[in-house]
Amino acid sequence: MHPAILGLITIVIGVGGCIGYFWFSNVILDRVFFPPSGPNAGRNINRANAIRPWLFMGPAILALGLYLAYPVVATFLLSFQTRVPGGGSEFVGLDNYVQMIGEAKFREAIFNNMLWLIIVPAASTAFGLLAAQLTDRISWGSFAKSLIFMPMAISFVGASVIWKLIYDARPAGSDQIGVLNAIWVAFGGEPQQWLTISPWNSLLLMVVLIWIQTGFAMVILSAALRGIPEETVEAAIVDGASPWQIFFRIKVPQIMPTIVVVWTTITLVVLKVFDIVLAMTNGQWETQVLANYMYDKLFRAFDWGVGSAAAMTIMLLVSPILVWNVINARKEMR
Amino acid sequence: MDNIAGKKSSLTWAVHISVVVLVALWLFPTVGLFVSSFRTGDQISSSGWWQSLSTQESQLSPIRIEGDETATGDAFVIEGTLISGDTTVSAWGTSSREPNAYEPGETVDLGDGQTLTVNDDSTYVLTGPETFEGTRLPRVFMTASSPPVWTVENYGTVLFTGTAAAGIGQAFLNTLTVSIPATIIPILIAAFAAYALAWMEFPGRALLVATVVGLLVVPLQLALIPLLQIHNTIGIGKGYLGVWLAHTGFGLPLAIYLLRNYMVGLPRDIIENAKVDGASDFQIFVKIILPLSFPALASFAIFQFLWTWNDLLVALVFLGADDDSLVLTGRLVNLLGSRGGDWEILATSAFVSIAVPLVVFFSMQRYLVRGLLAGSVK
Amino acid sequence: MTKLLTGMAIAVLSTGVAMADGHLAFTPGEGDFNWGSLEAFAAATDLSGQTVNVFGPWRGDDQALVENIIAYFEDATGANVEYSSSENYEQQIVIDTEAGSPPDVAILPQPGLIGTLASRGFIEPLGEETEAWLQENYAAGDSWVSLGTYAGPDGEDRLYAFPYKIDVKSLVWYVPENFEDAGYEVPTSMEDLKALTEQIAADGGTPWCIGLGSGGATGWPATDWVEDMMLRTQPPEVYDAWVSNDIPFDDPAVIGAIEEFGYFARNDAFVAGGAGAVASTDFRDSPKGLFESPPQCYMHHQASFIPTFFPEGTELGVDADFFYMPSYAGKDLGNPVLGAGTLAFITKEGEGARAFLEFLKTPIAHELWMAQSGFLTPFKSVNTDMYANDTLKKQGQILLDATTFRFDASDLMPGAVGAGTFWTGMVDYAGGKDAAEVAAEIQSSWPAQ
Repeated sequence: MHPAILGLITIVIGVGGCIGYFWFSNVILDRVFFPPSGPNAGRNINRANAIRPWLFMGPAILALGLYLAYPVVATFLLSFQTRVPGGGSEFVGLDNYVQMIGEAKFREAIFNNMLWLIIVPAASTAFGLLAAQLTDRISWGSFAKSLIFMPMAISFVGASVIWKLIYDARPAGSDQIGVLNAIWVAFGGEPQQWLTISPWNSLLLMVVLIWIQTGFAMVILSAALRGIPEETVEAAIVDGASPWQIFFRIKVPQIMPTIVVVWTTITLVVLKVFDIVLAMTNGQWETQVLANYMYDKLFRAFDWGVGSAAAMTIMLLVSPILVWNVINARKEMR
Repeated sequence: MDNIAGKKSSLTWAVHISVVVLVALWLFPTVGLFVSSFRTGDQISSSGWWQSLSTQESQLSPIRIEGDETATGDAFVIEGTLISGDTTVSAWGTSSREPNAYEPGETVDLGDGQTLTVNDDSTYVLTGPETFEGTRLPRVFMTASSPPVWTVENYGTVLFTGTAAAGIGQAFLNTLTVSIPATIIPILIAAFAAYALAWMEFPGRALLVATVVGLLVVPLQLALIPLLQIHNTIGIGKGYLGVWLAHTGFGLPLAIYLLRNYMVGLPRDIIENAKVDGASDFQIFVKIILPLSFPALASFAIFQFLWTWNDLLVALVFLGADDDSLVLTGRLVNLLGSRGGDWEILATSAFVSIAVPLVVFFSMQRYLVRGLLAGSVK
Repeated sequence: MTKLLTGMAIAVLSTGVAMADGHLAFTPGEGDFNWGSLEAFAAATDLSGQTVNVFGPWRGDDQALVENIIAYFEDATGANVEYSSSENYEQQIVIDTEAGSPPDVAILPQPGLIGTLASRGFIEPLGEETEAWLQENYAAGDSWVSLGTYAGPDGEDRLYAFPYKIDVKSLVWYVPENFEDAGYEVPTSMEDLKALTEQIAADGGTPWCIGLGSGGATGWPATDWVEDMMLRTQPPEVYDAWVSNDIPFDDPAVIGAIEEFGYFARNDAFVAGGAGAVASTDFRDSPKGLFESPPQCYMHHQASFIPTFFPEGTELGVDADFFYMPSYAGKDLGNPVLGAGTLAFITKEGEGARAFLEFLKTPIAHELWMAQSGFLTPFKSVNTDMYANDTLKKQGQILLDATTFRFDASDLMPGAVGAGTFWTGMVDYAGGKDAAEVAAEIQSSWPAQ
């Protein structure tokens, strides 16, 4: 059989199986176990409703537990162990953490990560909000949106190629093939190896991620902006508010929850991103970040202990966001 | 009144101009890559892509004379053209020390009775008293201006040559087989879970929401070995089922997080009215929530599709790296060879691989906008 | 579901087999190949219906070359070979072995990594017979045996990996006509090389193109320099002690070798673009300076693979050539050769895996690749006339004539150093940091035993 047909069949089975689960599990719950009719109708409905959330969330909890929570627990345990030659491992307490904190590269990574965490989400969200607001007001807005969104469609590896070309430097005297140096030289500068100049090189790496993530922020925020009830905006116009006031006083507060979601999501991307750093500088010239440090330890040094400790550090950094989200979820439920 | 109208139109102009600037900034890097994908490797590394549109005067790499000699009387002559195409030579030389020693048309004595003439159209005449056979012919250094040259050869290399030709179609199918279920399955699962987390009452709800957010940050690299171990133990091994499950697991937190956030914002009355009318949660979900959440579903679908399409790591680990199971990104990356790094191939590969996501995005966008409009009618 | 997926796999497989058939690069029986060794191997081995998974580092054009060799193995044994590779092959092989789905045979260029895998018990020993075979059939057999010998999970040293396909690193590339134009001679001693470097600079030219950029592996070209300098300033025993950390990385001998590299790389007048460009110039772009007009540089130190990155149409031996990176005439250290290469090892015990390793012992498995391109071997029984060109033959001769052969130290050191701090340290050094300071930092990153 042609592979395309086989592929199609596997797709149908995979997706169909999934739909089937939700359909049948609900049917069985309602018809077989707790039919909402007969003498115990009321009790049955209550019981069915107590079980149903878990039915709805079952596959998600299973997948999250197996594919994410389990590795996290395993990593947590690994971070207190070290490999012994000949297989197996032994408990070493906090040795891995002590070793990690003692490394200059780790401290550099923490510092850089802080910069990334502040600059990238802020810039991406700001540009995304700007793009969303501006493009919503013009006729060719959706076309413009597509173009700004396009970097999202490019893999991190592809993006690194694109920006390497921009930051490229040729010796003085020959034609520059990197845009940045071409402009720099046109204004009378000497060609610079941008990626080696700290701290600007970190910023130049951030630009790549901002370039990619702005599209994400824009799409989500644009949906939120369209969801704002017309009446509130119209009321403000009648009151004589300027466009700036409408935007900052009326619109932004109303989409604040969405802005927070976007900010959170990009923050999490930042914590995980390492492809860009790996492909462009591999953390050299003082551009190391935590995720790349972890990758280095795991797959270059084969030091699972310290690699796991670095991973736990990344997860620790996310805890403020975690707490904040719990509080928020509680508030929504009242 | 006029005043207000004038202000408004100048503001509209400002908006248009700002968007043009923003779009130009965002597009500029990609355009550079796109233009580069139509240039040869030597061109890319010798001049900026923005110069590829204009006629360039540049110092060319040396070209060695080659060709068959003809014997005329007591002399041997080799004639030919150094560069095909519309090139104008402004200076030339035969030594790396003085690459611009001579004018076009000048006849130069190379020693041993040999003479060389190079004309401005890069035709040359090399004469000598003895046969050139078995001797090394001279190199010619030229400063020449050449009009822009474009090539689709890179696309030919990426799509149709060598090992790529046999596998690119297969890789394309593999990628589709991976990414379509890996997009739909997590959305389905996440939509149900998001509804439960947004609108159903049960103990431990806030904790679950927090867990989902916490899991968003788990670095993928950590999960690879334990998960492949599980797959090998329970007998899934390497295959499509494994990749789908992996992508589902890794994509779920973001899906649940985004969808739940959207669903919480849906108007409470609609759902409560439906409940009063006796609709079950399943009916409410299918008939009300799903249609209303269409924009959010569509935007997440796009993200998840892009992510699975561009993914290399998960596919390599859970599907395998042999010829029959390679995905498109894997195939393109392999083209770069063991030591990699040819810009023209990189640029072309990048465009081949983003073609499908772009088509998907542009076609989905119509639905996205329609969905957004439907969603805003409350 | 499983059945369906298996069915799919089989359908896909059969197309793969059909493609491999009738695709032999050289017709058996023609030319001066050792066809006899292939026939003998075919007569002794039958793997009909079996599948052998081979994982290697070769992708792109190189993948086509290795698949050409594999086609003969399939033809001779009836086995079906699935070759796979990956951009990050180190990561891939670690994941696959740790998770329990390894290939049958893996081929990797990093002895350090293979040693790690061996100590964790993921590799099968090759046995004493193979050890004796290497001693006897490879030039400088001892050094090859010790290259493939690692401590197993029980701490015992055994031969685990079989060297196949070698690169020579001690080469300096140049454009002969540029030398002629300027009246320079190919140097035959390190003293001459340094004098030439100074003369070129004095004449207003730039002697060297050096580029350390390589994405995530940035810095590795400098480790080759330091290793070559180490072999030219110290006896091979010191080199071995350095690799095993029996002398520390910040030993004066090592610092001396680093500073020898600095003599070339840290002098603005000696390198194209100035010393500041060294660390960030991509190693693939770096040799192009030789061919520019006027030349950006006159010499480039790099391994035998580098012609791949020369401009299109460059004819080796005419447009570009190489000379052996000379040793000090004043030091009696012979002609040391630095190299690298790939080693094959068995990650899953099986008839097919063993047969594949046996196949690599036949001269034909070497000659077929020699005749294609980019393959060097220390195997004494091959017909060296089969090398695709004179340049390769000349390099092959360097390998056969070596008085001392040493493997790339950075590949032998633990990954944390050899594929980590040694690279990054060299980038720091090229950027102006003090050699002793860099060496001390690298030493401190050496994993505890």
